[in-house]
Amino acid sequence: MIQLPLNNSVFTLLPEKVVYKEDEQLLIIADVHLGKATHFRKEGIYMPTKAHADDYENLRHLFDKIQPRKVYFLGDLFHSKLNSEWAVFETLIKEFDKIAFTLIKGNHDIMDEALFAGLNIVVVNEILEEGGFIYSHMPVTTPPDAINIVGHIHPGIFLSGKARQSVRLPCYHLCGNTLLLPAFGKLTGLYMIDCKKDDRVFAVLPSEVIEIQ
Amino acid sequence: MLNAPTGFGKTYALWFGIIESYFAKKKRPKGLHCLWITPLRALSKEIYSATTRVSDELGLDYNISLRTGDTSTKERAQQKKNVPHALITTPESVHLLLAQKGYADFFKNLEFIVIDEWHELLGTKRAVLAELALSRLRALNPKLRVWGISATIGNLDEAMQVLLGTETLKSKMIKAKLTKKIEIKTLLPDVIEKYPWAGHLGIKLMEEVLPVIHNSTSTLIFTNTRSQCEIWYQRLLEREPDLAGVMALHHGSLSEELRLWVEDALHDGRLKVVVCTSSLDLGVDFRPVDTVIQIGSAKGIARFMQRAGRSGHQPGATSRIHFLPTHSLEIVEGTALRHAVQHNHLEQRIPYVRSFDVLVQYLVTLAVSDGFKPDEIFEEVRKTFSFSSITREEFNWCLSFITIGGGTLDAYEEYHKVVIEDGVYKVTSRAVAMRHRLSIGAIASEAMIQIKYMGGARIGSVEEWFISRLNPGDVFWFTGKNLELVRVNGMVAQVKNSTKGKGVFPSWQGGKMPLSSQLSKSIRARLDDYYGKGMKDPEILKLMPLFDEQQMRSHVPHNNELLIEKVKTKDGYHVFIYPFEGRNVHEGLGTIFGYRIAQIKPMTFSISLNDYGFELLSDQEIPIEQAIANGLLSTDNLSEDIYRSVNITEMARRKFRDIASIAGLIFNGYPGKQIKTRHVQASSQLFFSVFTDYDPDNLLLRQAFDEVMIFQMEQIRMMDALKRMQSQTIVIKDLERLSPFSFPIYAESLQRNKLSNEQFEDKVKKIISKITK
Repeated sequence: MIQLPLNNSVFTLLPEKVVYKEDEQLLIIADVHLGKATHFRKEGIYMPTKAHADDYENLRHLFDKIQPRKVYFLGDLFHSKLNSEWAVFETLIKEFDKIAFTLIKGNHDIMDEALFAGLNIVVVNEILEEGGFIYSHMPVTTPPDAINIVGHIHPGIFLSGKARQSVRLPCYHLCGNTLLLPAFGKLTGLYMIDCKKDDRVFAVLPSEVIEIQ
Repeated sequence: MLNAPTGFGKTYALWFGIIESYFAKKKRPKGLHCLWITPLRALSKEIYSATTRVSDELGLDYNISLRTGDTSTKERAQQKKNVPHALITTPESVHLLLAQKGYADFFKNLEFIVIDEWHELLGTKRAVLAELALSRLRALNPKLRVWGISATIGNLDEAMQVLLGTETLKSKMIKAKLTKKIEIKTLLPDVIEKYPWAGHLGIKLMEEVLPVIHNSTSTLIFTNTRSQCEIWYQRLLEREPDLAGVMALHHGSLSEELRLWVEDALHDGRLKVVVCTSSLDLGVDFRPVDTVIQIGSAKGIARFMQRAGRSGHQPGATSRIHFLPTHSLEIVEGTALRHAVQHNHLEQRIPYVRSFDVLVQYLVTLAVSDGFKPDEIFEEVRKTFSFSSITREEFNWCLSFITIGGGTLDAYEEYHKVVIEDGVYKVTSRAVAMRHRLSIGAIASEAMIQIKYMGGARIGSVEEWFISRLNPGDVFWFTGKNLELVRVNGMVAQVKNSTKGKGVFPSWQGGKMPLSSQLSKSIRARLDDYYGKGMKDPEILKLMPLFDEQQMRSHVPHNNELLIEKVKTKDGYHVFIYPFEGRNVHEGLGTIFGYRIAQIKPMTFSISLNDYGFELLSDQEIPIEQAIANGLLSTDNLSEDIYRSVNITEMARRKFRDIASIAGLIFNGYPGKQIKTRHVQASSQLFFSVFTDYDPDNLLLRQAFDEVMIFQMEQIRMMDALKRMQSQTIVIKDLERLSPFSFPIYAESLQRNKLSNEQFEDKVKKIISKITK
């Protein structure tokens, strides 16, 4: 893992593709895209649903291990319209009634907000916090002294070595004062980022996070 | 199967037979009588006007219609109501017809199918589309007569077999006893460089091109890539401003209107020069063209002949082609081509087999129209060449893929594509049906950005990534125009004319085609001419100083020798090997050799290559002699060594893009139409990863790996190359300095190495070793 100090707070970038902010016991998770496989299947496009089982298991495991006080979902929590997977999600959330969940709405979050309210999940468009942190799904205009923490992009990096060796990895990307989080969900692709000279990029490996530049 | 050179009246040879057969009948049934399938819309149009002329001038009651991607919905509806006697169409449009309700009725009186330019379809997945359509139409009309028209290719008999499938049908090959005269001339520089650098020579030879243009009525200049096409057009115009107005350019990214305009103008003799790419390789007859110029290696003999045949398109006329080498060593290809053409040594077209993506698409096509019964279709599909080895289990996997989504124990609730009603597989959802109809076809294309003027006039399209590197205000060359990017709006880039006169040329991917094995063979044979006592071709004479230099520093290999050069420079220890087998095979061999040598002594290599040879470079001395003794050239465990040394997964991931699109996993929308696909867009990358993790037995995934081995690694050719190299005398030379043969390969690595720095490399290497462990 990587400890990244930003505006006097330390953000821990975990290989589980989530960020933990110790001082607030806040866990930040972007782009889970639950229900995506079922949505695709309903539209006649095949996708294995087993991937989502891993998503729920991974979330459960994280909540157990870290025991956060608060969780921010940085948008695109549920992929599209309501479908049968909601029940699985409901069970999971109810198991952790001590955690305060907030959903920062993403472009895929088109479900009735009342459903989230029923699970005590607060739904907002973005969060502006003291200490200079703005949490949003997509990047927003941010004052120079603030930090914008976002999802949406599903950042990835393409690394190629000698002899045609290459690999695509999800990554954290700090570009100016915007921190891009990798997508958490198993059923999410990668968008290969274009990294500029002063950017910092942290690649996510199965059990560690490595700073690439 | 009819095999004859172009320009001898193949179309009419078949057409009059078809018409004769129809009018010889006492009772002439209504409905479709003949289906004429061509690979190209432009060609369809030409066949349409040629055949319509016959009906018009003879006053025959035999109606012909055209049906391609351009045909309007209204016209299509009319064709269904008022069925023509003959339909000129493409493989995709035939599948669209099979996706219509009541297609069996539409085809019930069909007697003839003509598959035109079959050699062009063969070797693509579109041929598989044609095979599957044939299997269905044969089942509907067992008496169907099928004609293939093909130019000469290395595997003409196999080409016929693919059309026949596995059934024992009566068949005949008709070969015209005609040879097209082809005159090949290489444009030679006055003095050659002994140390050739790729691409260095081309534009320098402009002065040789101008007299050729002036002495011809109309000239086609073929380039290998679209960017080369733009550059040549621009440079010619700068050198000879008088050409403005009588010179045009033509490539696949131009808008349809522009392309049609150029084609018409060529046809009517209004153009003196057209700079083009493979977009003008095919079909359409440009009578006024009497000269062709090929810029750079044509990479294959058949392609070279095809291009030559664009000139002198009348019976008995001579085709004239000038070959313009882009670096001095390439000059040898001139003589190699001439000899290969003389002896008719043409390449084979390898047919696609077991393309499950196309099969999956076809099954849904049938489910969209009238539904199908699996047992019937299985029997039909098995009779095609492509699926002759399909097992019932594999077919069942395809069925389950379209009904419950794959053969795994996955939960299948809510999956809704094809449903089974009374044993009939059907699509009942209108949305699924519509999306499917829009995605029929076997050509998957890159995401393209349309280039338009501010006023809205379309100029053409380029790959998205090219535009994404430009900022508004940047200037680039496209379609011979100097354009300034104004803004990008969705999938449209708005531009205006610029007068800056400078700018970048768009480059397009996929320009680097490997040298064909036939041409490679011919080049190897020509190297012997260096030692020959007899008359030498002008190309060899011109190259003598380079060959002498090579002989002095190293050795010019005889046809039965394999040359290996060792040299130490400030960059490290180099080993150069010259199989002359084309880029793809060299890339594969380089990687495998590197892997095999590292088994003797742990070391890392960087590899660079061209069509003639490849280089292994290391910071330690490379024990090449010992490696050869230990079986460096062995074909044993070749597949295993490929999998161990090459990043096949990454290559398969790229191949999977097309497969996912053909199999209907990703929906690209429809060109020019905005269709809402809310929240059902995912990249092929995602499917690739998810299948790898959760559905590893997926046949589409396996197909991606097979395609990499067959088409990208060219495994069979690699095998043949290794066998040949084993039988050759190996000549190892220790060099003081780089030789003329090795220099261009060395230069390639220079250009490439500039891009990476050591520290970054190390980090990546560490990561990759962690990942692939």
